[in-house]
Amino acid sequence: MSYARDLLRTRELLGNLVQREIKGKYRRTVLGQLWSLLNPLATMLVYTVVFSFIFQARPRVGDPSGLDIYPLWLMSGLLAWSFFTRAVTGGLSSIVSNAGLIKKVYFPRMHLPFAVTLSTGFNWLFELGVLIAAIWLFGGFPIPWIPLLLVFMVLLGLLATGIAMLLAIVNVHFRDTQHFTAIVISMWFYLTPVIYPISLVETAAAQRGDWILTVYRLNPMERFIAVFRNLLYDNTWPALDDSLVCFAWAIGAFLLGYVVFVNNEKRLAELL
Amino acid sequence: MTESAVVVDGVSKRFRLYRERNATLKSALMRGRASVYEEFWAVRDVSFDVPRGTTLGLIGRNGSGKSTLLKTLARILHPDEGQITMSGRVASLLEVGSGFHPELSGRENIYLNGSILGMSRKEIDSRFDEIVDFSEVRKFIDQPVKNYSSGMYVRLGFSVAVHVSPDILIVDEVLAVGDAAFKTKSKRKFAEFRDQKRTIILVSHSMPQVRALCDQVVWLDGGRVRAIGPSDEVVDAYLAHIDADEVDSNEE
Repeated sequence: MSYARDLLRTRELLGNLVQREIKGKYRRTVLGQLWSLLNPLATMLVYTVVFSFIFQARPRVGDPSGLDIYPLWLMSGLLAWSFFTRAVTGGLSSIVSNAGLIKKVYFPRMHLPFAVTLSTGFNWLFELGVLIAAIWLFGGFPIPWIPLLLVFMVLLGLLATGIAMLLAIVNVHFRDTQHFTAIVISMWFYLTPVIYPISLVETAAAQRGDWILTVYRLNPMERFIAVFRNLLYDNTWPALDDSLVCFAWAIGAFLLGYVVFVNNEKRLAELL
Repeated sequence: MTESAVVVDGVSKRFRLYRERNATLKSALMRGRASVYEEFWAVRDVSFDVPRGTTLGLIGRNGSGKSTLLKTLARILHPDEGQITMSGRVASLLEVGSGFHPELSGRENIYLNGSILGMSRKEIDSRFDEIVDFSEVRKFIDQPVKNYSSGMYVRLGFSVAVHVSPDILIVDEVLAVGDAAFKTKSKRKFAEFRDQKRTIILVSHSMPQVRALCDQVVWLDGGRVRAIGPSDEVVDAYLAHIDADEVDSNEE
């Protein structure tokens, strides 16, 4: 618990590290913070052309929002997914890339992955703001769901940070971790119903065996994406079991990452 | 007897010397264990007390364990044996400008670096002008630090560091920063620290500096304490030992 007190005492440092990430990222660019919106817009365009026009994927009609627009359905899930991957990959390399700092001055090292998650979350807030405005414009009404949305953003942040802390420690020992993680994440993306609806998996499972769906739904990101779509696209309460699974994964992953990180932190300076 | 600000009790630090230091999963799997290594004790069973308000110097040849001990005191490394007890706020100055972000301005970096060194925003606000004046970079304070000359860069870093005003300051030969005028100013700052009854632990290769600043000196040799006592006594013994060894100590 003394480590947690240390973290709390140095919270201003965390604030400054987050600012460093945010301000440093788009320095010397003409568009600045706009880049954080252009990126998802470009992805949205590509996926919409490929999957909506070419593959003719039909999203579910939003219930009760009545929305039937693939790009909005896509982005309700994709923004959460891209936050998750950016927080995990950024956090996992945060220790190695700040080696110079870690070797020269003491501070609770956990602030480094925390700063990545928070600065990524800050960008995500921007993207969500635009998405919420767009959904509203096209007939949805996601405004009352914003508080609950923020709760699930925090939960997803905890999940991502937990995984990032765990992998950051492994990455100090084996630099293979970051390359390996990149592969796992790109496979994970296709195993999560982000660009296609889960109904396709349900159909496949009905033909080939129900176990497929059971295994498929072990993926915590499947639950998170479902919850974010419920809140943003459907404008309704998320399913209770999805919410509980999200909560359990978030707390479990964060605690595991925390414990592993605290137990290994003391030796980081000599391992780097 | 005055109370101790720092108590070092039987501290040892071990390093692992890896025979092949390529941290890849493949090499680990091929060998069936993490790595092959030999143990090396960089610091062995070191004990001393630093009374509050005094300055302690760590001297010794290259590789004697000074820097390792200093890093252990600064909490960057964790001792494998023994214990270090510090009472009061600690700041360490092992490198100037740690954590400067090249794209951010001097102003933003003062806040970032200050908080890395343990200052609160309020403290930085109140000392901001002092920091800038001391560093002599006021004209460029809103420029990104990557445009700074190396002199300006280290002066700014040093200036932030000496304004942390901790109870215990841990310093690694950073007094040799900037031109002659800046050095004089830095020395005055350290004299000020001593007058304010702050505790300082420093590593230095400059024996005149050690004589001038330190009350007490610890001479490390091969990771162990060779001698400990009043600065003139220990420095004389150290210099005599070096002369006897006919080793060029690179002093003066």
